[in-house]
Amino acid sequence: MHGSRGRSRLWIRVFAAPMLFACATITGLLAALLWGAIGQYVAWVTVGAPVVFIAWVWVRRRTQKPEQFGQTLHGK
Amino acid sequence: MKARTVRLWSVVHTWTSLISTVFLLLLCLTGLPLVFHHEIDELLGYAPQPEAHASAARATTQQVADAALAADPGRVLQYISWDKDEPGIVTAFTNSAVDGLPDNTSVRAFDAVSAKLLGPVGIGPMLIVLKLHTDMFAGQAGKLFLGAMGLLFAVAIVSGVLLYWPFTRRLRFAAIRDRASRRVVWLDWHNLIGVVTVAWALVVGLTGVVNTWAELMLNQWKATELASMVAPYAGKPPPSRLASLDDVVARAKTAAPSMEVAFIAFPGTPFTSSHHFAAFMRGDTALTSRLLKPVLLDGETGEIADSRALPVYLQALLISQPLHFGDYGGMPLKLIWAALDMLTIVVIGSGLYLWLARRRKRAPARTDAFAKRASVPS
Repeated sequence: MHGSRGRSRLWIRVFAAPMLFACATITGLLAALLWGAIGQYVAWVTVGAPVVFIAWVWVRRRTQKPEQFGQTLHGK
Repeated sequence: MKARTVRLWSVVHTWTSLISTVFLLLLCLTGLPLVFHHEIDELLGYAPQPEAHASAARATTQQVADAALAADPGRVLQYISWDKDEPGIVTAFTNSAVDGLPDNTSVRAFDAVSAKLLGPVGIGPMLIVLKLHTDMFAGQAGKLFLGAMGLLFAVAIVSGVLLYWPFTRRLRFAAIRDRASRRVVWLDWHNLIGVVTVAWALVVGLTGVVNTWAELMLNQWKATELASMVAPYAGKPPPSRLASLDDVVARAKTAAPSMEVAFIAFPGTPFTSSHHFAAFMRGDTALTSRLLKPVLLDGETGEIADSRALPVYLQALLISQPLHFGDYGGMPLKLIWAALDMLTIVVIGSGLYLWLARRRKRAPARTDAFAKRASVPS
């Protein structure tokens, strides 16, 4: 019981951010189609979020020392 | 996830990706300029520009049709269309016959006010890129083949998401292990870019697959819905004299009052019966402008024959088009589309690199094991 709860917590930790990006992308793709001009602005932010995030990881990785940029959950 | 299950999904992910890699790279590389095909055509001088007019009185549809036939003597009209984003232009499609091959179609732009010929449409280098992207110059077979590659891409994405868990559960989200080998660094980038762009890649991949089925869907509509709409006219010959196009347009608007004509298909073309004009009407919102409604009109008298909403599968096709092209959210969305396309190229390329690197890593290990076995005295 305890193990399965820990496992589901770990599952959420692994998939929470990807699911957030996926939901944002789907929302943006539909928003531009359904909500006219306002929907377009929503789409630029939400569909563009993965691009901005990847760019941020890349820039951060180049500007910080390797040790500073998160490795494993236990810091190994 | 058990080790055996992980191995199984790993095999699925590896082979669905490998089989489709070359074609996905082709689709991504040709898709990139296609995102900006309007801008590129304009830059290269292949996009006809409307004339500047002081008066707003537009030419009638019949005047445009006459100008189109005069510009292409001896041929017949197939379609006349109005692009909602290009109100100054009317486009006419002519061919050697109403049911002529699509590759024989000539597309020309006419000024919406003066009906003057502005120039050909859909020529130049972007046509080659488009053909490579849609069917690789192999017609319907090429389209269906690329659709199958799109389905493999979708399986590769789903299996990749399932494998994301065992490969990253001990890592922080977005961790790139710089101190590890180059292969591990690329594995981390592959996993990260793949998982954050998964929704976009699935949507664009699957809508691309739906687009490859367009002709099959259209044939299904013709065989079922359209056949039942024109059933009362069964046995009637093709019109000996066509109704005035201005009447056709005016009557189509009365059948769908809050809509405007997106395009007219002439009798005998793939979008209608041999006896009817089909006026495809569109709404004025972002969504309803994509969902066309056909109005069938008698080819000789111009009288309304029938009007029905398109079936769900054709509506799905029409909705899938903007979701695949990314052309419905202005230039910023186009730029984001291009960036996501490039990130997908990185995911595909890194996946190929990881497979090659793993094979290289395994090869010496196998050689060592063989050498050890061989050195054991019998």
